[in-house]
Amino acid sequence: MCRKRIIIQPVILNNCSKSGNLNFKANVIQTDKSLRRFWINIFMDEQNVTLRVENITKRYGEFAAVENLSFNVSAGKVFGFLGPNGAGKTTTIRMIVGITAPDTGKIELFGEKVSSRMQDKIGYLPEERGLYKKMKIFEQLRYFAALKDVPQKTADSRIDFWLERFNLQEWKKKKANDLSKGMQQKIQFISTVLHEPELLILDEPFSGLDPINVENLLEVIAELKSKGKTIIFSTHLMETAEKLCDDIILMNKSRKVVGGKLRDVKASFGKNRIALRADGGDEVLLDKTLIAKVERHADELEILLAENADAQKLLQNLIQSGARITKFELVEPSLNDIFIEKIGAGTSL
Amino acid sequence: MRKFLAVTKREYKKVVFSRTFLVGTLLAPVIAAMFAVVPALIISVKSDVQRIAIVDQSGNVATRLKENLSLDKIQTKAREAAQDSLKNIDASQKERIETGARQFAGSFAFIDYDASGKSVEQIQRELNGRIQENQLDSYLIIPQNIDSAGVGVEFYSRKAGDFVSNSALEDALNDAILSQRLADANISESKLRELSRRIDLEATPINEKGEEKEEGGGYASAFVIGLLIYITLAIYGQVIMGAVVEEKETRIAEILFSSAKPFELMLGKLAGVGLAALSQLAIWIFSALALLTFGLTQLKAAGIPLSMPNITISSVLYFFIFFLLGFFVFATIFALIGSMVTTTQEGGQFAMIPVVLLLAGFYCTFPIVRDSNSTFSFWVSIAPFLAPLTMPVRIAIETPPFWQIALAILTNALAILGLVWLASRVYRVGMLMYGKRATIPEVWKWIWQS
Repeated sequence: MCRKRIIIQPVILNNCSKSGNLNFKANVIQTDKSLRRFWINIFMDEQNVTLRVENITKRYGEFAAVENLSFNVSAGKVFGFLGPNGAGKTTTIRMIVGITAPDTGKIELFGEKVSSRMQDKIGYLPEERGLYKKMKIFEQLRYFAALKDVPQKTADSRIDFWLERFNLQEWKKKKANDLSKGMQQKIQFISTVLHEPELLILDEPFSGLDPINVENLLEVIAELKSKGKTIIFSTHLMETAEKLCDDIILMNKSRKVVGGKLRDVKASFGKNRIALRADGGDEVLLDKTLIAKVERHADELEILLAENADAQKLLQNLIQSGARITKFELVEPSLNDIFIEKIGAGTSL
Repeated sequence: MRKFLAVTKREYKKVVFSRTFLVGTLLAPVIAAMFAVVPALIISVKSDVQRIAIVDQSGNVATRLKENLSLDKIQTKAREAAQDSLKNIDASQKERIETGARQFAGSFAFIDYDASGKSVEQIQRELNGRIQENQLDSYLIIPQNIDSAGVGVEFYSRKAGDFVSNSALEDALNDAILSQRLADANISESKLRELSRRIDLEATPINEKGEEKEEGGGYASAFVIGLLIYITLAIYGQVIMGAVVEEKETRIAEILFSSAKPFELMLGKLAGVGLAALSQLAIWIFSALALLTFGLTQLKAAGIPLSMPNITISSVLYFFIFFLLGFFVFATIFALIGSMVTTTQEGGQFAMIPVVLLLAGFYCTFPIVRDSNSTFSFWVSIAPFLAPLTMPVRIAIETPPFWQIALAILTNALAILGLVWLASRVYRVGMLMYGKRATIPEVWKWIWQS
């Protein structure tokens, strides 16, 4: 198969040996349509897509849990999967992991239609998670590794490595019941990375962790990213998502609200926010035609401009009113701002 | 397949290395032995020598009675009773206790009392007084006209509840009076014994072809087989349900489902627990067989020959086949219930359904023991859900034609297929449903939706 490809297009030889995706590539060459896709792959940098979700819909009776959802997750990126409770995040993740199947639409993982065969390449930390209460820690981890087809010897050395990494060596032979909730969380995280998956799906990984452990886990996630792993990361914590994510998707009521590269998303919201530090000019800030909202922070004001209002006009008015301005900066909206604007402060987080 | 084996291995180890398994494996034979031995042990605690006064107004019973109550006579009787009890394994509990009593009766000491010329009331008053002063335990008044109808011997004792001594006394008294009556009628005792020898009814079953056949495992062992399957299935069904509920309660299910197919996980669980149940049964059965062989050899050496119940390899094989069928039928039901409820307590209520089914199967074994070839026996031994209990019992009593056994295997294999089909639709959805119990209409929808 490889030889056949060398004749047509020698460039692929590298890809072929690197990705190990022989069948797929071989088929590609055989039809016109696939050939086109093959060239697209080469020139559009599309082979870097780990996960491709296309128009998926999942219904439970009358209720649509996910409706017509599409997005791509690029290889080696941290992808933020955001949205309020009941938005359809867990349902979507379950479809990606192969626990359930979409009614319509398709999900491609590593260039193949998703199936239970691919589960060994995914590490999934569900939001609702637990451990066997009466089983020793290393036995549980061994079991979870075995379910991912990791040979016991390999599993044992990785278990030691990760327990060391999280400072849990001394708990190795304890039962899960003896561990604090935070420790159990870390054990659950270890169980999702033991088989060194290409794709990690972390659903609320920080819930129940104290700040030190949150830092610890953030470091580990950064390490995994630097090793080229793709990480899908679902959370309610917008600040963490902002620090961590390259790309995001925001879901609400079963549908996508916004999505794309984090900086594009932010840019698309425009610079309608101003950080202001000034003495005086208070009456200008009451002008409803210019200003929608004023938030007072410790030493500065955050101003949300009214629709179609001009920042220059505001600055002009402030100067005219005799205010002394020490800071006037147009700023991008935070993810939190976008979340609240798009979904509404009334929605429970 | 590797994942299936990983699940099986974990479930097997979890059950077999648990304290409950160890205790159960060791304790069950002990409990079984206790049912057989304890009643005998309890009455074997010998009572003290009973001090008795015999007032013989008829004048010709006392001598014989005293002779019958002598240590020698009592011991001879005890030996005979011991042999009886072994021959008579099927005897009811009451009979067994009576034979036991004869084996272990205590001895008597006779207190002299001169009753000449005293009225019955006076005798009673005096002897009661002596009992109160603790010079006497009991006394017996044999009336003058012992042979006339409606006249009884009066027995007073402060240990009137000591049925062991009482039954010995009663035996001895009856023997004495009988001897006296025989003597009165000029019949020698040896002649009588010859004339009144009992005939034993030896029940030899005949099979349908009209041939005499060896009695299979015996009725007692048929009953034990039914009980064993019933108990094991009920216990291990609950074990399965507990394990399923644990994975649902602790939310491990979702992690597991992201690693292997739910169906594979469920079957792995059933296989692991099933193997554990088989291990326990095998330990019980083989140790019981070993003990039985040892015990029978010992008895034979002691001069009491008893034949081994007729256990063939095919009957053991059938036993395990039907046990496995039953296990998969009931374990799947228990697993399904576990996946639909939210807590073990809730599961306990719904576990009534399979338990009642099991119990129905167990009760059906009673009519089968009485007549293993009736129409009723035929139908219940091929019915799904019932056959795993009833068919092995039928086989133990008299092996039915092979097509009936095959039919029973087939109906239950089909039942398993149906249940497994149901499980493949309900298990995954149920396991991922948190917070509330699945209602019947919901489950109905899952079955037809996916």
